[in-house]
Parts: sequence; structure tokens; C-alpha cells
Amino acid sequence: MQNRLIYWLLFVLVLTLALTGLSTAQAAFEDDEACLMCHKYPRMGRVTQDGVFRSYNVPPEMFSNTVHRNVPCRDCHNYIKELPHRPVETGVTCEQECHTKKNPATGKPFSHKPVYDLYQNSVHARGKIAEGLDADKPYCISCHTNPLYNPHQTEPPKKVIDRCELCHEKLDFVTQWYSHTSRRVLEVKRSGEEIVALCSRCHSNEKMLERHAAAAEEAGEPLGKKFLIAAKSYEESFHGKVTKYGLEGAATCLVCHADQENYYRGVHGILSSRDPASPTHSNNRVETCRQCHKYADEKFLAVDPHPSFDAKYNPVLHKAEAIYGVVGNGVVVALIGLSLFETFGRRRDGVGWRIRWGSTWWRRSKRKRKRIIPR
Amino acid sequence: MKLSKEAEKALQKCMRQNRTPDKDRKEVEDLIELMPQDRVLLYKNVISNPIGDLPRYSIHIRIQHLLTFSTFLLLAFTGLPVHFSDAFWAEPFNSMLGGIEVTRTIHRTLAAVMIFTMIYHVATLAAGTIIRLARGRFDIRRTVIPMYKDLQDMKEDVMYFAGTRKQRPEMDKFMYKQKIHYFAAAFGNSVMVLSGSAFLFPDIWASILPSGWAYYFQDIMRLAHPHEALLALVVIAFWHWYNVHLAPGRFPMQWTYLTGKITREHQIEEHFLEYLRNLVEQPAERAYLRTLLQKYDLRAQERLSEGLPASVPADGQ
Repeated sequence: MQNRLIYWLLFVLVLTLALTGLSTAQAAFEDDEACLMCHKYPRMGRVTQDGVFRSYNVPPEMFSNTVHRNVPCRDCHNYIKELPHRPVETGVTCEQECHTKKNPATGKPFSHKPVYDLYQNSVHARGKIAEGLDADKPYCISCHTNPLYNPHQTEPPKKVIDRCELCHEKLDFVTQWYSHTSRRVLEVKRSGEEIVALCSRCHSNEKMLERHAAAAEEAGEPLGKKFLIAAKSYEESFHGKVTKYGLEGAATCLVCHADQENYYRGVHGILSSRDPASPTHSNNRVETCRQCHKYADEKFLAVDPHPSFDAKYNPVLHKAEAIYGVVGNGVVVALIGLSLFETFGRRRDGVGWRIRWGSTWWRRSKRKRKRIIPR
Repeated sequence: MKLSKEAEKALQKCMRQNRTPDKDRKEVEDLIELMPQDRVLLYKNVISNPIGDLPRYSIHIRIQHLLTFSTFLLLAFTGLPVHFSDAFWAEPFNSMLGGIEVTRTIHRTLAAVMIFTMIYHVATLAAGTIIRLARGRFDIRRTVIPMYKDLQDMKEDVMYFAGTRKQRPEMDKFMYKQKIHYFAAAFGNSVMVLSGSAFLFPDIWASILPSGWAYYFQDIMRLAHPHEALLALVVIAFWHWYNVHLAPGRFPMQWTYLTGKITREHQIEEHFLEYLRNLVEQPAERAYLRTLLQKYDLRAQERLSEGLPASVPADGQ
């Protein structure tokens, strides 16, 4: 019943567009298949049986800035065979082969599958459609939020263009390829702050973390004792503070938790610290720390990269902090008190703030003794 | 004036160490005889040069103080905006210096200067002590080392300010407040250097420390560095600046840190034992005091104010 309603709505929409000839903003990418004819409308979507509005809108001005702007829609949405198309069940998954028509480098279909396979072996692995605890884990698009982290150089330098156009007559082609490659050279990774913000999006979600900790406990494989406060305690750490200052060089989440031999391979294949191949596994920690701390040894591992002043996690530090608080406040009160006490005593003894011959003795004592002799 | 046991001891030791000739000894003893028992009468009547009359600090100590306070303040001004980088005032301050990375670099550079000052200070004290020992002029009571007498002085001084004593205690070259302050600063500086080095060289510290200590050391140092800095600022603002600038009798400031000299009135009031030594070591001070005492006859004034005859009767009453 609902599907029929959707078809009817789509038909009315297409008909209306055809009749009125409405035109909206010119798409900045090649929409050869006229998908935007429908998907450019902000209200394009449907209400699910759960009452949730699912938007099918693809804002052209936004899409034209993504890394996929030059990929025809049906290169990825290859299950669409007719228009208006039938309801989509799974949609595009990131491992599928795509933009087969525009891969002049190899002539072969391109795919993110190798990276996807790496990710599927990581601690974050999940499918596009996931349920239960897996649904909490990040899918590819949880982190790859185009275009925020993928700016590209849109205007190639003249000296590059001059050289390319000797053979490649189409300037658009040259620009596209320059952008494609330069983005990979120039924008190689996120800043430390961005990485921490990205990881913290899930690792500071208390309910989500508690769910996973409880499940692991039940399964007899309890998670690390700092799992629940990983993001918060990192922010408290020296690394976290330096990263927060916007300075590069301090360890971010990925510097320790991802294998740095190949950064891009490492970040997609983050492993549980129980895995012997993980850089945070107890056998590998010294080497991991030595990436930055040249003289790190077994004893250095005692330094907590996720420190906490919470009594639950570190009662000694909690008490030390409390003592400093008491001492600090106590000293302020005591010193102000002492100063007032002395001021009161000296004033009563006839000592003031007035200056006479560069000195401040000027009054008779109030202690009923005439201590000043008239000069 | 009849000297207390402590004062008598200090005076005799000073004269012994200086090999004071009998003539000068006699002069000092005569002057002490002419002094009123009430020291307040004395120090409220002397004329003092506001920039100082009597020697107190060598040029080395003055340079060290200048270096210490300038580095301390600048370290605080560059450390606080780093620690409280989220505060509304921190960002413009850091931007003014060229960004937080520049603030941190300045902070570390100043820390190196402060460490140099500490080494310079310890070297000065060590050299000064060795020279004094070699010349037979070392007196532990003239140093900043805490003594039991300091506790008694503190008690007596508190009672004076509370109004239950007529005079302040006879204190030495460094009184109890200065000793507390000195060791608080020494402790604070050491903690700051230790914790700062823990930030810069965590791996080296972990390899030096016994197993198990590293776990607490790094975090306690991280806790100590800002807290100790704030504590030091509080002590400086509410106590040191009060004592040397704002306290009645000290306003607008003591010039000692620049001139190395202390005013006569201050020396008699708070460092009377050192003033007695000044009488031994400074002939000019003996001359000044003799003139003052002869001009005003403070002892007679004292007796009159207590309802006694101006001169001591033959029977000594």
C-alpha cells in the first residue's frame, strides 16, 4: 500500500516538473542521468513505518563539492534499472566496484574493497546495515564526512596546466586529474584536534560505552579499565592538552592505537589492545611509545596515557588533588588573615601609611606610652 | 639597656669574630648602656634614609632577586594562559605573543633563566659560607637556617600584634617570616623545576625512578605544576607584597632589593640582633647612635614616661 503511494507521489512529481518546466540551481556536476530532477528537492523523501522522515534529497551545491562529484550516480547505485526507480533496500556499500566508466588509469573497475576488507578485520568492523551493538560502531561514512575533511585544490598552478595541456586539450580533464592527485598529496590526514573530535564522537558517548562494557563483561572478556573514560581521560592528559592547543606533534588517539607502519592502513585496521598485533598490546607498547619518547623502556609504560583524578580510577591522585585544593584555599584565607592581623596590630601601635622623610613612622603610639619625642 | 641573653651572645660572638679592639668594645657597651630598654622609643626616633642606612644584601643577592621575581612573574604570565587556554582572557594573550606555541617557548626559556638563578644563588651561598668559615666569621644565627628561637619569636610577635606584649621580640638578621618565605619559595621553585622537567623528559624520569613510582610521579607532577604556581602567586600577592609594600611602616616599599641597604628604624625594629652587630662592624653607626642618644637622652624620657625620676638615683632605684 505504502509503495504504491510512493510511486504515485513520484509520478506526480515528475509530471509536475515536466509540465511546469521548473528550473532550479544549475548542478555543478554532470548529471547525465537527470537524477537531480527529483533528488534536488529538499522535501524529497518518505516517512517510514516508524514515523521517521527519510530524506532522499541530494543538494547539488553540496554534492558538487564532494570527492564523488564526478562519479555518475548509477556507477554506484547500479541496482537502478528504471525511472522512477523502485525503493532501495540496502543502497550503496563502500566495498562495491564503482565509476567503471571513468577510470582511465587502469581501465579496470575501481573499488574501495581493499580498505573495506582491512576495516572489516578491525575492532570497528560492521556492515552498512547493522543491528545491536554493531550498530554503535562506525561505518565508513561515520568518519569520511565529505566534504568537510576533503578540501581539494581547485585551481592548479599555471606551470602544471601549461605542461599538461600540451597533450590533454580538455582543460576540465586536466583540472579534475590535478585535483584528484593533489588532494591525496596535500591533504593527507586530519589534524590532531579533528582526529580527537572524531574518535570522541563515539568514545565519549557514555551509554554506548556502557553497553559495550557490559556485553564484554558478560562474554567474559572485560574491556580495559579506562574504556569508559578513554576520551575524557585523554583530554586530561598531557597529550590531550597539547593537541587541544592546536599543536601537532603530540600523540593523538591514532598515533598509539593505529599501526604507524602505514598510517592509512593502520587507521582503517585498528585492533583491540588484546590483539597481539595491536600497537597497544602489552608486548608492543614500548615500541609504540618509542615512536616519540626515545628513551622509553618497560618502566615508562607505568605512565598513564589516560590519567584520571576520579576516586574510582585513581584514589591517590584524587586525594592529592583534594589536598592541593584545601592547601590552596587555606593559604589564601590564612595569609589574608595574617596580613589583616598585622595591619591591625601595627595601626594600633601608631604606625601608618603616611610618609615622613621617606619613612612611615609618624604617629604617637596608642599603647599609652609617649614614644615620640618632638624634634 | 640590659641586653637579653640571646642579644648578649650575638654581640659577644660578633665582637670575637671581628677581633674588635677593646676601645671599640667599650664604645659599643657604653652605647648599649645609654639605650632605652624600650626599643620602640629608639626606632621611632632615629632618622632613616628611605633607601637604606645599613648593609643587608650583597650585589649577588640583589641580582638574584631581580632575576627571580622577573622570571617568576613572566613565568606565571606565560604559564597561566597555557594552563587555562580555554579562558576568555587566555586566547587574546596568547595571540598577542604570537600564538600558544610562542607562549610555551617563552615559558621554557624563562624557566632556563630561573634555573640558572637558582644555581647562581646556591653557588653564592656556598661561596659566602666558605669564605666566612675561612675567615672565622661564620655565625649560623646570621643565616636563613631555621632555629628554635624563630618559633619563640613568632609566638612573641603574634602576642605583640595582639596587644599583649610591649615590644616586638629581638629578632635576628632573618626573622621567622623571612625564613618561612624563603623556604616556601625554595620548595616551590624546586617543585616547579622538577615538574617542568617531568613534562619535558617523561621517559628519562621514568627510567631513573624506581618501578612503580613512575605511575604516580608523572600525574602528581602534572597536578603540582599549576597548583604550586597558583600557590606561589597567592603567597607573593597576599604576603610578600604585603610585607614589603603595603604593611604600615613599610609603605610604599622597602628599597633594600635595589640598594642592598636596610633602613635604621627597620633594622632596630625587626632585626635588633643584627643592629647590635652593625654597631660592632660600622663605626659610623656608633657615631650616629651616640649623637642621637646624647641629644634626646631617651633613657631619661623612658623613665619619665613611666613616672620615675629622669636620672637613676644613687641607690639604683
